[in-house]
Amino acid sequence: MTTAPFFTYSRTALQRLFDWKVRGVRWIEIIGVALVAIMIVSVYAAKAAAARESSRIAQLEQDIRENGQRVRLLRAEVARLEQPARLEALSRQIGMAPVDVHRQAKEAQLTELKPVPAPASTAATTPAVAPAAAPAIAEDAASAPEPAQ
Amino acid sequence: MSVQDHRYHRPAPGVDLQGRLSPFWRWLSETVWRLEHGFERARADARPEEDTRVRIFLILIVFSCVFGALAVGASYKALFAEANGRGLGVNPNALVRGDLTDRNGELLATNIVHYGLYIDPAQIWDRDLAYRQLRRAVPRISSERLKRVLASDRRLIALSGLTPQEKAAVHDLALGGVTFEPEDRRAYPLGTSAVHLIGDADTGGRGVSGAELAFNDEIRAAGQRGESFPLSIDLRVQGVLENELAAAAIKAQAKGAVGIVTDVQTGEVLGMASWPTFNSADRNAAPDGATLNRAVSGHYEMGSVFKTFTVAAGLDTGRADMNTLFDASQAFQIGDRKIKDFHAQNRVMTLEEVYLHSSNIGTSQLAVQMGPDTMRDYFRRLGLLDASTIELKESAKPVVPRRWDNSTLASLSFGYGIMITPAQMVQAMGALTNGGRMIPLSLRKGGARGAQPQQVVTEETSRTILDLLRRNVVKGSGGFADAAGLRVGGKTGSANKLVNGRYDPSHALGSFAAVFPVDGPLNGKRYAILIVMDEPGAYPKTGAYVAAPAVKNIADRIAGFLGVERREDRWRTATGEKVPEYQDVAGDGL
Repeated sequence: MTTAPFFTYSRTALQRLFDWKVRGVRWIEIIGVALVAIMIVSVYAAKAAAARESSRIAQLEQDIRENGQRVRLLRAEVARLEQPARLEALSRQIGMAPVDVHRQAKEAQLTELKPVPAPASTAATTPAVAPAAAPAIAEDAASAPEPAQ
Repeated sequence: MSVQDHRYHRPAPGVDLQGRLSPFWRWLSETVWRLEHGFERARADARPEEDTRVRIFLILIVFSCVFGALAVGASYKALFAEANGRGLGVNPNALVRGDLTDRNGELLATNIVHYGLYIDPAQIWDRDLAYRQLRRAVPRISSERLKRVLASDRRLIALSGLTPQEKAAVHDLALGGVTFEPEDRRAYPLGTSAVHLIGDADTGGRGVSGAELAFNDEIRAAGQRGESFPLSIDLRVQGVLENELAAAAIKAQAKGAVGIVTDVQTGEVLGMASWPTFNSADRNAAPDGATLNRAVSGHYEMGSVFKTFTVAAGLDTGRADMNTLFDASQAFQIGDRKIKDFHAQNRVMTLEEVYLHSSNIGTSQLAVQMGPDTMRDYFRRLGLLDASTIELKESAKPVVPRRWDNSTLASLSFGYGIMITPAQMVQAMGALTNGGRMIPLSLRKGGARGAQPQQVVTEETSRTILDLLRRNVVKGSGGFADAAGLRVGGKTGSANKLVNGRYDPSHALGSFAAVFPVDGPLNGKRYAILIVMDEPGAYPKTGAYVAAPAVKNIADRIAGFLGVERREDRWRTATGEKVPEYQDVAGDGL
């Protein structure tokens, strides 16, 4: 039993350590109380921070809800203003109509399109004429009068 | 005086409750006794330390386990609480009902917070002034109601459903005693557009008609997730359909009209309109019959558009091909009944000519040859004997004949004797033009969930029908539907309605069932358009005049949205002119 003295010694040391007192109070109890105090303070701090965060989250959620309501209101207003029957009625009021099939062109036909007439001296005062002539394709434009040079 | 051991129980007189419990009491008292004297026994056994330590150790373990479990639980809750504010409550974007949108996310219905207007007259200084100001700010407020509320002695609601604008107008009056309480209400910003299709939801958040009812549970579930619920319709297509339908109906002075646009490959409804229409916000002001969704609830004897089904059945059974001859030189006699042609040719005709000239005699002969079983089988396959499978609860069952004798078969062959809904019609047309697969109509984006398409006719029949439909537009009665370069195919339908037991020509029905483009692979991009004009008032009342032009305009305007390019075919150029090199000299259509 060679190990018995070591255990006896260590046990005695441990006992001494356990029994060490500071001003009549076991140091291990002081440490325990200190740890509990730290824990109480930290839990309080964490809870206070969590309460602050949760009220902030609640505030943000309220903001989101209010903004969501405003967005829905605005979307509904947009949908009302963009309803097809209304847009068509407005378009027809200003003389717009579906584009005639002869005035439609595909992307591949861009090169065949009649070039935009060069701005003549009179064209400067009536710029709206140029875009109106643009969609006409070349074949149709062949019989059209040449733009003023 | 008697001496008695107090540990022994003495039963009380009367109910022997304690007598029944005595074994338990005995066990309990013995256990407590044993525990209480444990120290003494241990000391007597000369191992007092061991006994105390074991007890302390056990208690330590129990407390450690409990606190450990609590600590782990608390840590888990603190560290792994679900995100998205789950611990704090519900999704901030949650709604009673999700927004309803079209397939591209355009808004159809939404929930808007409205306000109830409450007035406490005790806090109002000048009631006459308040009355005048409130009436000016919200003209729709009932005068009697407002007077009654102002004259009362307690807080009452004066008006519910104030819009945010109206609330702001009242708020700006800065009146005392006026308060608002929020109410979540369903709003339909499109007004009259798609009103039948979207339907309505009540103030409790439950759908009561249309898609709101059909998809009620899913819309509510989407609302809880803060999401939208998309329908299959395309608002651009819907808008064009409604505008062109209304224009055509007004021009034809019709009593009612229906227009449907579908994708024949997926069964999705891209547009569905019923005319006349109404504003869902003012349902009481709706014209007579306007609230009926004629597209799924209206029953009509469709007329000659049914010839497509008869010819398809004839081709599919092998009973006829395009060159089979039918004697239309004279009326077809069935018993006492003589069946005549509207555009009588008085000659022997091929099946193609029967179709292009819309010969009642030819299709009647074909139907009688096929017999009742075959006709019923094909009508059932094409969904003409059952309600359309579209999700709308308003989808009505057809009125089908009870007897299938020769006279009935003849009537059925050209669209009389059976009353179906336009939705059934367009569903059957889809099956004949998509390679022969019956795909249920659906308002759900992506088509009906879990649908198993049934092969109802062969692909060959489907190809032939597509060719016939195109020929009917190029050479037959559907010329007004030929939108330039879009390869439209279709069949006109004209029927007289049964009035007081007689078919009355003044009460007619004109229709046109079309598909475009007819060329390309059978499973290629293809769309069906059905226009039905109910009781046109102006002559001519046939489908070729009242419905086909609307189909042309609609196809013209929606082709761009649907990605259908204009292209030439063997009869027409991309811009709609006749192909000059094509000369049908032989008259065989080849």
